Amino acid sequence: MSNAADVRSILDLPSSSTATPVPAPRKVSLASARKPDGISRELFSLIGPSSTTLVAQLAKPRLKQKPNLGAGSKIKWEWRQFKNSARTDSLQLGHWVKASTDPEAEYPFAKYNVQPATYTYSQEEYTKLLQDTEWTKEETDYLMNIVHEYDTRWYVIQDRYNFSGGPERSMEDLKDRYCSVCRKLIRNRPWTGDESSKAALMSSFSFDKDREVMRKKYVASLENRTPEQIAEEEALYIEIKRLEQNERRFKRERDDLLRTVAGIESGLPDIVEDEQQLNGLLLDAKRSKKKGGADLDSPSTPLLGASLTKRLPAKNTAYDLQHCITRTDLAPQSATTKAAHQPAYLRSFKLPFPKSSIAPKVTQALAELGVSTTRLVMPTQGNVALLEGLLDATASLVEMKKVVDKADYDIQVLKARLGMAGPANEAEGTADAMDVDDGNDADGDAEGEGDGEGEDGRAQSVVSTRSARSRKHTRRSMSISSVDTSATVSTRAGTKRQRRS
Amino acid sequence: MVNYGGDEVSALVIDIGTSSVRAGYAGDDTPKAVIPTTFGYHKAPLDPDSAMPDVADPTQPRPGKFAKMYMGQYGPSVWRDGMEVSNPLNEGLIHDFEPVSALMRHAIVDVMRCNPSEHPILVTEPAWNTPANRERMAEIMFEEFQVPAFYIANTGVLNAFAAGKGSALVIDVGQTMASVTPIVDGFVLRKGLVYSTLPKLVHAHAHHMLAAPNPQRRGIDLYPHQLISNKMPVEMGAPPRFTLREDRVKGTTASWRAWYEAREVDEWIQSVAGVLEQGWNDQVAASRPPRQYEFPTGYNSWFAQERFLVGEQLFHHSSQMLASNPTLPKHIPALITESLRACDPELRQVLVGNVVLTGGGSLFAGFGDRLSAELARSFPHVKIHSPGNPVERRYGGWLGGSVLGSLGTFHQLWISKEEWMEHGKMIVGQRCK
Repeated sequence: MSNAADVRSILDLPSSSTATPVPAPRKVSLASARKPDGISRELFSLIGPSSTTLVAQLAKPRLKQKPNLGAGSKIKWEWRQFKNSARTDSLQLGHWVKASTDPEAEYPFAKYNVQPATYTYSQEEYTKLLQDTEWTKEETDYLMNIVHEYDTRWYVIQDRYNFSGGPERSMEDLKDRYCSVCRKLIRNRPWTGDESSKAALMSSFSFDKDREVMRKKYVASLENRTPEQIAEEEALYIEIKRLEQNERRFKRERDDLLRTVAGIESGLPDIVEDEQQLNGLLLDAKRSKKKGGADLDSPSTPLLGASLTKRLPAKNTAYDLQHCITRTDLAPQSATTKAAHQPAYLRSFKLPFPKSSIAPKVTQALAELGVSTTRLVMPTQGNVALLEGLLDATASLVEMKKVVDKADYDIQVLKARLGMAGPANEAEGTADAMDVDDGNDADGDAEGEGDGEGEDGRAQSVVSTRSARSRKHTRRSMSISSVDTSATVSTRAGTKRQRRS
Repeated sequence: MVNYGGDEVSALVIDIGTSSVRAGYAGDDTPKAVIPTTFGYHKAPLDPDSAMPDVADPTQPRPGKFAKMYMGQYGPSVWRDGMEVSNPLNEGLIHDFEPVSALMRHAIVDVMRCNPSEHPILVTEPAWNTPANRERMAEIMFEEFQVPAFYIANTGVLNAFAAGKGSALVIDVGQTMASVTPIVDGFVLRKGLVYSTLPKLVHAHAHHMLAAPNPQRRGIDLYPHQLISNKMPVEMGAPPRFTLREDRVKGTTASWRAWYEAREVDEWIQSVAGVLEQGWNDQVAASRPPRQYEFPTGYNSWFAQERFLVGEQLFHHSSQMLASNPTLPKHIPALITESLRACDPELRQVLVGNVVLTGGGSLFAGFGDRLSAELARSFPHVKIHSPGNPVERRYGGWLGGSVLGSLGTFHQLWISKEEWMEHGKMIVGQRCK
């Protein structure tokens, strides 16, 4: 609270001539003399009006403002008679409502009185469409009425169903009859909407009685299990879970092994996904693995296998013949070895692919024969076996022809070297030069290697890198290559020369 | 308003049970009036001429077989010279409507101070009620009470509603009847309804056990306190020392005496008896702490195994008992099994998952635990709804009626007086399914 006089006195300026210095402080004291609420007079006189913050804090505390509910104005309620439009009579009940509501408004709960759609039929329709040897018209009428009355609550309908003189009806009988009547009526009546809505309505009345009866039987039998049966069932379930878990572990171990042996190029599918999904199980498996190698699982496996094979019914053979089903007998001990497990597969997937080097020739040969290998119309076991044999034969034919060609060529070259000295000299010279060139030229060598992959390079390195799928070929090509390894260098030189020239 | 679905039209709910008549406003959580169904009366003189002065009596305007009726708080429990006692219900069904209408009038007019002609009235009935009975009830309501609207609902359904369920297996143990009622979508499955007079058997067993002498003690005198002028404190198990009010003994009727003895037994049961949670086991029963109880005569004793033997009757009947009495009422597990067997196999799991335990007789200590143990033996997924609040347990039927009667969507179901005039008795069967 400083005024012009204070400023002047601080700055040692002479007071202005216009204003007298005396009235100014008095004015100040008058203005600040008003004691604020919440502070005692004595204290105020001591500290003076300077400490504004203190004064602000000492403001008299006030109660919280009362909440103003209902937007200020009182709501008037009144007891009013109302009429329920869901009723057919003139009963008037009373209730408390806000006086502001419209007395003519419809009763808010009347809208929940939804009547289900019902199907009625004339005598003519009945005789034309709905005749049934099991049902009389009277009973059908009774059924339709009771279904409407209890709003298609079938349990209640079945409970209350009591048609005097009629046979005992199960719930499925009632449902079947009702649905069939409704279906027939919908189908044979003119339909104003579109076809899809009609179909939807029809499907809402579809009912498969036999299936329902079967299902009910299952439910009942599920309930009638003895405690021993339940216990056995649970034990079996746990057993299956454990077997599945074992299976996964075996697979994982095998893949791990293959990966460590063959490296990243082993071509195995990634199993990370599998790992995540079955984390808990695998952890469990790991734990048991840690405990010590042979666990309880392995001995139990053949037991189950045996019981499973035992369960296969013998009467299936006729059915199998008729439907061309072939069952491969799994030897019980085959399940015990870990790697021998075979998941389900398509037979045509097991067809061996010809080696990439001779593949085009094989397909060409087959095309000449008019056989398409890409898609079998009927991949039965027999057909697949035949095709496999054919592919096999073609591949070996092509290879054989190759070998024969090579041998022929070798013979020609050797003959030329031996016999005809004069004209062969030139040729020999070039061949020698090429040979030397070949030996130094790494590039050419690599090319040759790539070219003749099928025959030679394979013999040493393939075994580990190839998956089981092509092992057969490998063996075959090995035998072939072992035959002509002695001639390999010269042959290659020969072929190369041939190509380059 | 529409959101919670309630719309209260000041309907009254009356639930008539064997032990008490409950009446109150729909929408409340407890009945306003709870009066004993048993009433005291003086027989009207056989000579119709001498009954005339009674007709003039303003408290009892109607002529009838009762010269005077005593109901409510100061009714049958007050000793009166030559007063007989009667109960209009037999096996849960009303067999005598004259006192029933008097009882309802007493509850509505004298206790609740209501005018029945101003309120729609919802009355309950047991699931095994006869059509004639419910029509008679409707007649009383419309003709005598002049109600604007009336509805009669099933106690089983109402008990399910009180538990907030549309489908349930209601196990109701009352004073004289134990029933198991399957409810689906608010309808009773009548084929699955089973009931027996099991509580009566339990009561009789307890009565016999107390009154008959055994090696440990003499038979206990079950004199009501109204007949005892004074008594001395005695040691535990010592013979009681009391003097009877000889002036009253003469005027006491057999029916009143029997009724009060039954009350003494009931009180003993309520304060002492229990059920073993895991089936009968002598060691467990012996290991439970005994309880003390003192009878009005001053006789007091500890009750150990006996108190569990009483409750065991609800769940198990010994083979010799079964052999000696072929018409023995079925115990609770038998009732449940029979009820479920009559239901569709698909429904059983639903019902067992929605068991509602209700009725005053289910308030036996340990009843709920024992029931769940019994059910768990044969069903994997059992869920029992049993309110811990004894009021909800005892008046579950009334509470359900209170819920139903205050629903906005229910008001279209009332049988109005107009409809009653137009259609007559038929409408009751058509409307109240």
